Amino acid sequence: MTMQLNYDRSLHEKEHRAGPFEITPEMIRSVNVSLSEKGAAFNSDEGAKGEGFRGMIAPPTLCSIFVREVQLPDIGLDFGRVQMHAGQRVQPIAPIYAGDLISASSHLKEVYAKTGRSGTMVFVVWETTFRNQDDEVVAEVQESFARRE
Amino acid sequence: MPYFEDVELGEQIGPVETVATDEGVANFCDVWSPPTPNRFTDIETAKASGMEGTIVPGIMAMAMMAQLLTDWAGPDAVRDLDVVFRQPVPHNSPLTLEATITDLRQEDGQNLAECDILMLGSKGERHVGGRALVSLPSRE
Repeated sequence: MTMQLNYDRSLHEKEHRAGPFEITPEMIRSVNVSLSEKGAAFNSDEGAKGEGFRGMIAPPTLCSIFVREVQLPDIGLDFGRVQMHAGQRVQPIAPIYAGDLISASSHLKEVYAKTGRSGTMVFVVWETTFRNQDDEVVAEVQESFARRE
Repeated sequence: MPYFEDVELGEQIGPVETVATDEGVANFCDVWSPPTPNRFTDIETAKASGMEGTIVPGIMAMAMMAQLLTDWAGPDAVRDLDVVFRQPVPHNSPLTLEATITDLRQEDGQNLAECDILMLGSKGERHVGGRALVSLPSRE
C-alpha cells in the first residue's frame, strides 16, 4: 500500500535562487589542498591549457558547496524528526572556470517513502541547477535527505 | 587516460589509499562555510550528534571519489556521480577508493563507462557507495 505523505506540494513548482557566486582561483586551490588534488587542469591556467581548456577549471563536484546557499523552505512534512544527509548526485555538464560567476536555482524534486528492515524512511530530494554568467547550465545537483520515524 | 576501446567490463579503477586529515577537512570547511560549531571540525558537537569523533562532510567524501575518476579518465570526464552516504567517514583513518566498470556503451555521441564506486574504511566497511558515468576518448 502506498503511504500517504502530507507536505507542501506547491514547492515542486517553485524555484529558489541564490548567487551569483564567483569561483575564484583561491577557492579552487584551497579545495585542491584539502584533497591533495594535483591534476594540472585544476591547478593553473597553464596546466589547463595543456589539457585543452581555456583556463583553470574547478573539480567536477565543487559547485556542491553552494547548494547550502539556497534558502530552502520547510516542506511541512508530517513524518519523522531526525533528518540526515542520505545522498548526493552531481551531473557536470560543462566545465566551470576560475573567474566564472555561477547561480543556483533549486526546487523540490521528489518526496517518497521506503520501508525496510529498520522501518520506514521518507526521502526528500532537492534538485539544483547551476548556470554560469552566460546562462549556460554547468551542473545539476541532487541532494537527498532521509527522515526516520 | 584510457581509450574506450581498451577498457573492459569488470575492470577496476584503483584501489587508491587516502586519508582525510583534520587539516584537510578544516580547509574544505573554510571554503564550504557550514555553520559553526559543527560535527566536521568540532569534537564536542560531533559527540553530541552521536558520533565517535569528527566526520568528513559528505560533499568532501564525494569530491574524493570524483578525484579517483578524474585521475583515471581526465578532468572533465565525469558525467554523473550518484552516491549514498552509508556510514559517517572518520578523520585521520585509512580510506580506500575503488570503482568497477559495470557497463560500456555509446550514447549521444559519447563513449561511456558506467561503474560502481566505493569508499571503504580500514576494516572494509562501506562508508559511501554509488554509481558513476565517465566519458572516455575513442581511438577512432
